[in-house]
Amino acid sequence: MPPIRLPAAARVLSALLAASLLASTALPARAAEKVHLSFFYPVAIGGPVTRIVDDLVADFETANPDVDVKAVYAGTYQETIGKALTARKGGQSPDVAVLLSADMFTMIDQDAVLPVDGFAKDEAAKAWLGGFFPAFMRNSRTADHVWGIPFQRSTTVLYWNKDAFKEAGLDPEKAPQSWDELVADGKKLTKADAAGQTTQWGVQIPSNLTAYWLLQGLAAQAGALLTGDGSGTTVTFDAPGVVSAMQFWVDLAQKHHVMKPGSIDWATTPKDFFERKAAIMYTTTGNLTNVRKNAPFPFGVAMLPADKQRGTPTGGGNLYVFKTGDAAREAAAFKLVRFLSSPERAAEWGIKTGYVATRPDAWETPAMKSYVQEFPPAAVARDQLQYAVAELSTYDNQRVARTMDDAIQAVLTGAKTPAAALQGAQAEADRLLKPYR
Amino acid sequence: MRAAALPAARRAAGLVPSLEALGAWLLGLVWALPLLYSLWTAFHPAAYETHFTLGAPVTLANFAAARQAAPFARYLFNTALLISFILAGQMVVSTLAAFAFARFTFRGRTLAFYAVLLQLMILPEALMVENYRTVAALGLVDTIPAIGLPYLASGFGIFLLRQAFLTVPRELDDAARVEGAGPLGLLWRVYLPVSRATLVAYGLVSVSYHWNNLLWPLIVTNSVGTRPITVGLLIFASPDQGVSWALVAASSLMSAAPLLVGFLLFQRAFVQSFMRAGIK
Repeated sequence: MPPIRLPAAARVLSALLAASLLASTALPARAAEKVHLSFFYPVAIGGPVTRIVDDLVADFETANPDVDVKAVYAGTYQETIGKALTARKGGQSPDVAVLLSADMFTMIDQDAVLPVDGFAKDEAAKAWLGGFFPAFMRNSRTADHVWGIPFQRSTTVLYWNKDAFKEAGLDPEKAPQSWDELVADGKKLTKADAAGQTTQWGVQIPSNLTAYWLLQGLAAQAGALLTGDGSGTTVTFDAPGVVSAMQFWVDLAQKHHVMKPGSIDWATTPKDFFERKAAIMYTTTGNLTNVRKNAPFPFGVAMLPADKQRGTPTGGGNLYVFKTGDAAREAAAFKLVRFLSSPERAAEWGIKTGYVATRPDAWETPAMKSYVQEFPPAAVARDQLQYAVAELSTYDNQRVARTMDDAIQAVLTGAKTPAAALQGAQAEADRLLKPYR
Repeated sequence: MRAAALPAARRAAGLVPSLEALGAWLLGLVWALPLLYSLWTAFHPAAYETHFTLGAPVTLANFAAARQAAPFARYLFNTALLISFILAGQMVVSTLAAFAFARFTFRGRTLAFYAVLLQLMILPEALMVENYRTVAALGLVDTIPAIGLPYLASGFGIFLLRQAFLTVPRELDDAARVEGAGPLGLLWRVYLPVSRATLVAYGLVSVSYHWNNLLWPLIVTNSVGTRPITVGLLIFASPDQGVSWALVAASSLMSAAPLLVGFLLFQRAFVQSFMRAGIK
């Protein structure tokens, strides 16, 4: 009793195949004279980001009727770079992609991207290229060329719970300005219940996933960089300032008892802040909209406390123009990049997503001015940019950064001393980077 | 009073053998916890993600917000299409190949079978670039068949079905041949009916694997019209920010619902088919 005969299944198969073939060939035939671009972007924050991007792209198409852009949402940053490079090897390179600014050397190493300054020939274009915050450009330049244009960029800032400050007898309008103040405030803010269990920690600095990113801020405050000579082939993980920054980080938990000991999860840190498990948190400015919407108490945003000086890393994504060998597409790709990073669009993107608008002139637009007036914390990240350092960016960046993350974990869980762990990470990074020197 | 006394007596009588039942309940609970947690978070406001109080207000807002964020209906349809395509293809290819390996002798059979086994040891991720090249050469990038094609000739399916076919008694085979059945008739009338349990089990594994597959579909597709549900879910995994568990739970429930409902509906058929496999 055969319920279906074999040929029927085969027919369904071939019909499916034929239908999808038709669908894929019908599209390009419609408008032959147009330039078609594909634009890959990741989504790293909550909210309707895909819709915001679609709107931006639609505006671009209206302004440039001869260009057709297909905006493709491509997952996380890691998945986006994977997709872009895989597609490229399959002969279907994207034209523009938003990838981590720190992945610049990887993209150059893969011979996948073009220097953007090669397109900026007239005066207006040169002025546009020179108009970004220098802090953001530190991860865009190497070998005298500009490879990435700042787009969704962020820095680390300190968020504090004003109610908790009031309860602890602190001035709710004044965030800690130095490491010593952070420890002193943290001690007042750390509360335990009758059984001796801590119910509220003073400070929370997350340490999984992005630990190396946050350590760069602490190191910069102690006067040290992780980034070596900036050529992408050296790192300075075991510099004295980095070791003392690491020591301070672990001391917050082990010596001063103002932070939860052990590893702290990045993803749940805002949640811990909302639930008053921590009165102060360090996290990205990308969280600003989230905190503004969900914090059940008045909060403040401040620059990170200083040791010898202030300091913060920058992070986030740059726009890259891909090498496709098709001059018309490459020129149109440049147009798209320039459009997306123009003052008005940078302001719009910053307001809608919470990222730091990438150009001083974006902060002079009427939209941005009224946004800052209504919500002053938005400007803290901008003002902190003068103290920002370049983000760790090397060849084989993901693996090099991983060695640092592992070292930080080892210190925070008490498995190694800061000096031993960081020397180990330095040796491992040297081994990884040797082939590129 | 009587109503209360009766279950008590029953409980006392069943006290000794209930150790087994207790274990089963415990395992069941451990298995169900993530599901129960998703149910809780999906139907309550985000403030109750880690506060379990009975009086928490029940809401459908999370589902509405999740629906707003991505075209889930379309994604579900794509996933259904993809699953049917892969399952149909795998069944045809695996059955024919397994039958050939089980019951035909031909030159290079052992070598070819080793090649199939080799496929079991290679992660599909390792072949992604090569697969992309092939799919691009066929002009199929950003289509549903492109997602399915690399999985159609499944080494696991061929291996599993070959083992099942090998257990079919020769007598059955001979009897059908005497009745005048050709090779395909033999496969259709004798081997497939006898191996139904294996087919169902393999189908289940395949469907749940491809329902959850993420990386390859994400890489090879670009449009709402071709992307499966898992890619839609990815929007909520916002790593720069904290994760909104309420939204994640609501959207995961929406995407898993068809599988859950399907399993509940056909549960008896699945269990029976596994039982039959055991009795034989």
